[in-house]
Amino acid sequence: MNVVTVQDVSKTFGSGHTAVTAVDHVSLSVEAGDIVLVMGPSGSGKTTLLSMIGTLMSPTGGRILISGQDISTLSPAQLSRLRLQEFGFVFQTFNLLSALTAEENVMMPLLTAGVPRKEARTKARAALEQLQLGHRLRNLPRDLSGGEKQRVAIARSLANDPRLILADEPTANLDAKTGQDVTLLLCGTACRENRAVIIVSHDQRLRTAAKRVITIDDGRLSTEEAGEHNLHCSMHPEAAPA
Amino acid sequence: MLFLAIKNLVQEKTRLLISVGGVAFSVLLILSIQGLYQGWSNKIGEYIRTVPADYWITQTGATDMFHTPSVLPLTVRDFLAGVDGVGSAKPFSGRRVAFAHNGKDINLYVIADDTENNVGAPARVVEGKSVPGKGEIIIDRVVGRSQDIRIGDTIPVAGRELKVAGYSEGGYILSFSFAFATKEDAESILQLPGATNFFLVTVKNGADPAAVVSRIEADPAVDAISKDRFVENNTNIVRDTFLPIILVLLLIGIAVGMTVIGLTIFTSTIEKAREYGVLKAIGVSNRQLYTVVIEQAVTAAVLGYVVGAALALAVSAAAGSYVPEFITEIRWLDAAWILGVTLVMAVAASLLPVRRLSRIDPAEVFRA
Ligand SMILES: Nc1ncnc2c1ncn2[C@@H]1O[C@H](COP(=O)(O)OP(=O)(O)O)[C@@H](O)[C@H]1O
Ligand SMILES: [Mg+2]
Repeated sequence: MNVVTVQDVSKTFGSGHTAVTAVDHVSLSVEAGDIVLVMGPSGSGKTTLLSMIGTLMSPTGGRILISGQDISTLSPAQLSRLRLQEFGFVFQTFNLLSALTAEENVMMPLLTAGVPRKEARTKARAALEQLQLGHRLRNLPRDLSGGEKQRVAIARSLANDPRLILADEPTANLDAKTGQDVTLLLCGTACRENRAVIIVSHDQRLRTAAKRVITIDDGRLSTEEAGEHNLHCSMHPEAAPA
Repeated sequence: MLFLAIKNLVQEKTRLLISVGGVAFSVLLILSIQGLYQGWSNKIGEYIRTVPADYWITQTGATDMFHTPSVLPLTVRDFLAGVDGVGSAKPFSGRRVAFAHNGKDINLYVIADDTENNVGAPARVVEGKSVPGKGEIIIDRVVGRSQDIRIGDTIPVAGRELKVAGYSEGGYILSFSFAFATKEDAESILQLPGATNFFLVTVKNGADPAAVVSRIEADPAVDAISKDRFVENNTNIVRDTFLPIILVLLLIGIAVGMTVIGLTIFTSTIEKAREYGVLKAIGVSNRQLYTVVIEQAVTAAVLGYVVGAALALAVSAAAGSYVPEFITEIRWLDAAWILGVTLVMAVAASLLPVRRLSRIDPAEVFRA
């Protein structure tokens, strides 16, 4: 079953002569293990599309199915639960909680889902260690570099074993090298664990990791091509192909 | 989510200090005034409780020792002694007398120490003679100290020079204190020839008190008031003075506490709006977020309460030895209801931040 099915979805902000159609009749399906790179000029509707798939915004037309379920039928509380359990979010501005250490930031979704504290801590540590942040567990976000913050955010997005990770320009606030490393790390982890990823980015180099590359222009899906989809699963030594 | 609430609070130390300080101030204010009320109530009752009587017989309409004058002819004693069920009936004379000494106004409640009837003795004598002789008076130690009246000094009580023969304790009541003179001296000071202020009546074992009271009150000139009731009537004077003050301070305290907590939590919520948006996005429910904010308010309030209560205890212990009027008794019951008010206040103060929280749109977190 598709993780996400977007059927003829549109989003119009405002009404009358000030109306802006940010997303215009887009259809798209994403399967488990898919790594979808979404590209397109600024203002083309990428963030709006991602927000709708992430159930943070409702479409003005069409419908979105998550694991076969039409999300327009769900209550706000059910949507919250869905995001907690099925989605991981990675943002351009990292968006870590400033009062919490790296470890606690990763524990947050686990605690919210009712995982006991000790277990949450153990899981958070393991996740951070996997992202080479074992030495930064007790640091507050303000003491971390951009790349480290984004890796903490990735660990947080993976905490509850999501089926789908939504990343909106995760590299925009990082230098090119760090941005690429971090994104490849995300793709590699997701690929090994058979999660789906939708990444919005301008970074052409991410084509190497992506399975599919979608281009959006003025709210419409203009092209879809195959990505190179190499390297990423073997980024991590354990996952290196035999 | 308590851990996030605490982390958020601790992260903003200045703001935490302000809200804890505000609540502490309110709690200190309310707990101290409540403690004074309780302390003064007890103090007023303290001496009256030691007076041996089942019933106080007053002139009709008089209900207490201080506010309503009661004068009874000594002949009432024969009537009382004749009432079926009355064990003993003894006169008790005393009233307030004011005079100036060394340029200061002194207010004594002079009581006739009637050794013959064993009525009107001081509760506790701590220094000097325990029974006044002719021309002598026993005053409260607090007055002795504060007015610099030593044992052996002479003071002009209602135009009569009396020598201070001893210090008693436990009879200091705010604006005046109990003092004890011989029956003869007291009668001349109080100007009570052939009269007294009250009679103290005991009820015989086995007699029905209610029946005795109604037989006594058959005389329209007198009322019979049980000891407990009489103590209460006297302490009610404190209550009537204090309750409005307590109420006003309570309202001020609640207003201060609520404003401080409300504002600090509200500004913190606004500052952290983005982080709350992130939490919403990653699947924290509104309910859980509201809990975080309420927990922040309640935690700050509880900290403020602990600091305020500790200060109130310290102040009441320290101030009492400098200011004799500062008689406080901080009871668990009062500490408990004030904690309750503090908690309710904290939750109420969270309402505005919670409203703000409910309007945060999680989609905003994708905007850089
Ligand atoms: N909340 C909103 N209200 C009004 N217009 C919006 C809103 N969000 C986005 N838009 C408009 O929708 C279009 C697409 O925006 P966006 O999805 O952010 O594009 P991208 O992420 O590709 O840069 C833009 O023209 C933007 O101005
Ligand atoms: Mg965007």
